[in-house]
Amino acid sequence: MIKWLREDLWRHAVGVFMIFFALFPLYLVVISSVNPSGSLQVTSFIPKEFSWKNYQMLFKDPTIPYLTWMKNSLVISISVALLSVVISASSAFAFSRLKFKGKKSGIQLLLLIQMFPAILALSAVYVIMERVAVFAPHFGLGTQPGLLLVYLGGAMGVNIWLLKGFVDSIPAELDEAAKIDGASAMQTYWLIFVPLAAPVLAVVSLLSFIGTFNEFILARLFLVDMGSRTIAVGLQGFIGGQYSQNWGPFAAGSLIASVPIVAIFLSLQKYIISGLTAGSVKG
Amino acid sequence: MVAFFRGKLAFAFKVAFLAGISALLVLLLISAIGQKQYAIGIFLILVVIGLNFTYLTKVSIPLKFFYPGLIFLLGFVVAPIVFTLTMSTYNYKTGNYIGKSEAITQIQKLAIEPDASGSTFDIVVGKYKGTESAILASDTVKKQYFIATYKERFDLNAADLKLNQYEVATEAPNFKALADTELAGADKLLSKSRFFYTSEFFVALEGFDVGALYRQKLNFLSDKDEFQNISTGAVYKDNGKGNYANIDNLSEKLEPGWRAPIWFENYSKLLLDPKVREPLIRVFIWTVVFAVSSVLTSFAFGLLLALALNKPIRGRRIYRSILILPYAMPSVMSILIWGGMFNTEFGAINQLLGTNIAWFQSVTFARVAVIVVNLWLGFPYFYLVSSGALQAIPSELNEAAAIDGATPRQIFSKITLPLLLRILSPLLIASFAFNFNNFNLIYLLTGGGPKSTLDGDIAGATDILISYTYQIAFGSFTQDLGLASAISVVIFLLVASISLYGIRKSKVLESFV
Repeated sequence: MIKWLREDLWRHAVGVFMIFFALFPLYLVVISSVNPSGSLQVTSFIPKEFSWKNYQMLFKDPTIPYLTWMKNSLVISISVALLSVVISASSAFAFSRLKFKGKKSGIQLLLLIQMFPAILALSAVYVIMERVAVFAPHFGLGTQPGLLLVYLGGAMGVNIWLLKGFVDSIPAELDEAAKIDGASAMQTYWLIFVPLAAPVLAVVSLLSFIGTFNEFILARLFLVDMGSRTIAVGLQGFIGGQYSQNWGPFAAGSLIASVPIVAIFLSLQKYIISGLTAGSVKG
Repeated sequence: MVAFFRGKLAFAFKVAFLAGISALLVLLLISAIGQKQYAIGIFLILVVIGLNFTYLTKVSIPLKFFYPGLIFLLGFVVAPIVFTLTMSTYNYKTGNYIGKSEAITQIQKLAIEPDASGSTFDIVVGKYKGTESAILASDTVKKQYFIATYKERFDLNAADLKLNQYEVATEAPNFKALADTELAGADKLLSKSRFFYTSEFFVALEGFDVGALYRQKLNFLSDKDEFQNISTGAVYKDNGKGNYANIDNLSEKLEPGWRAPIWFENYSKLLLDPKVREPLIRVFIWTVVFAVSSVLTSFAFGLLLALALNKPIRGRRIYRSILILPYAMPSVMSILIWGGMFNTEFGAINQLLGTNIAWFQSVTFARVAVIVVNLWLGFPYFYLVSSGALQAIPSELNEAAAIDGATPRQIFSKITLPLLLRILSPLLIASFAFNFNNFNLIYLLTGGGPKSTLDGDIAGATDILISYTYQIAFGSFTQDLGLASAISVVIFLLVASISLYGIRKSKVLESFV
């Protein structure tokens, strides 16, 4: 017992303290979301009343198009997740498995590009898409397809880089064997590589899903209409400066929006952490 | 299965797919060129040519794999970078946003002045001889009546007209008034129309039934590329920086201007213009302080946790899964939640502390709040990576040190910590680079504030370089894309050199481990 006190007590003390710190905001959101008064003011840290009023408001109040925002976010994030992996997988395969001139400098260039914070070119992207809107109103500024294109471009560098890292760790014997049997590069890619790398592709596409779902500033700049906004932009506009009025429904809304992300994150823990140590930082 | 890749069917399928995409791109590029978006049009032409060349020939097999990714990278990453570089050498801001020819049209349109006596007319809008747009104008004081089209004026006698009780002409020969429904449709056109009065003056509509006499104040001489003021004779010439300026008084410029290359002026402004330089230095210092203290606090707390939980104590898995929650939450949501918690009147923080602090109105408190929130967001990351790193340190080292008589404290400070730092330094650097540009946190939590907007200051106390740049480019005051791009380029050079240093460190590490 004494030994436990001396050796383990401080460990638990640190752990418990940090758990309080970590959980405090989350706990607060949970109790706010079921507090019928819907106000920011916490009358007590132990909830005395309970109601689904805030949740109902989200789904029924026509001034809060919550479901539309959620749908927009899901459509955009899922499209980016799927398309970006489909496009970047082949490049990662080429970088990892094919031999060609300038491969080394290509990889270095890719490393540099994926380091470039997209936000630095924000005004350029804005002006370019403003011009695209002049001749192709469906793909320009203010449209979801336009935003999708910009996201795809932005995801490309990081995804190719991440995938290349994962692919390098898949043993190359199988595709070498296929090559000896006379398979072309395309056949090796589709028949050997894609099935083998499927789990990795799934992980990277889930990571892009999280990243896109979380993206704020481009979406904010692109999506002006209330009905075309993503959940992050919508909720920010909803709460913006009016914490005292809209807190209850906001708490409910942000909880619902967070659940899928937290679930994906926890189930991918292992991969995310290895991705982290590979040098990429979650936005 | 193999037949799917070789054979006529596969080839036909490929060609059809290529043709479909090419057709779409060609349609886009035609309308791009039609709208004079030449740069984008040329890019699209190259994309189409490259696409067909890559997939219909066997010149390069790797390129078949790279092409789609390459196009996206070029179009949405490389092109914006190049464009940022270009914009940073331009005078490109509110008032200098459009092209030169548009600016000339705008200046001409805006440069009108009323005649000296400020004559106005009662107007009926209609058609002259059935087709030509025209107005029937009445000056009830001078008893002057006329019909004016864009090109001509016909004076009329009151006797030929039908006047109402205010002696305003309502009907005239050869003139047919527009019905109300037609008026609404022609609104936009009419507001721009100029009806002929004399060769100098014209009548412009102010609403549907009133018009006033104006004349063009400035004349554009396209052969000399200059504007001339008709009454004063002043000459305005292209000043080379995107404006027509009075040659006798260069600070008198015609609005609007256009975007024009000014080479390194945006960059020299960063250093020389005190209105730009001083806030920039302030913001830069805070950016570094913010990034360093965020990394250090998150790392310290994460490491402490990792050390505490680096032993199979009871409940370690529960600790672990709860502790990474802040990292798993979508950060936009958690930042907004923290924003509510720091609310002065009702926020949970003041309630918990029993204080009444206006967190976001005070420079110090706002900065503390930003760092606390970033600590919450960031410590789980460092907890995770530190735990990983701790496990990577061979236990023999610690055991050997213990046998040699080192105390646990000595073991930590002499062996564990230096090794950890060595392993984690690339990640610490990457995290610094990330926080250096942590736009969302600042924008969503404090909006960069507190700031004294009354002084026209756009840099707030918690603004970091990137949020300051955003304010310059998209803020509610002047939007200066040129200056913002110049700052972006500087930030990129800073961050890239930091990151490259980090990568080199991790390379050293690879060879070391």
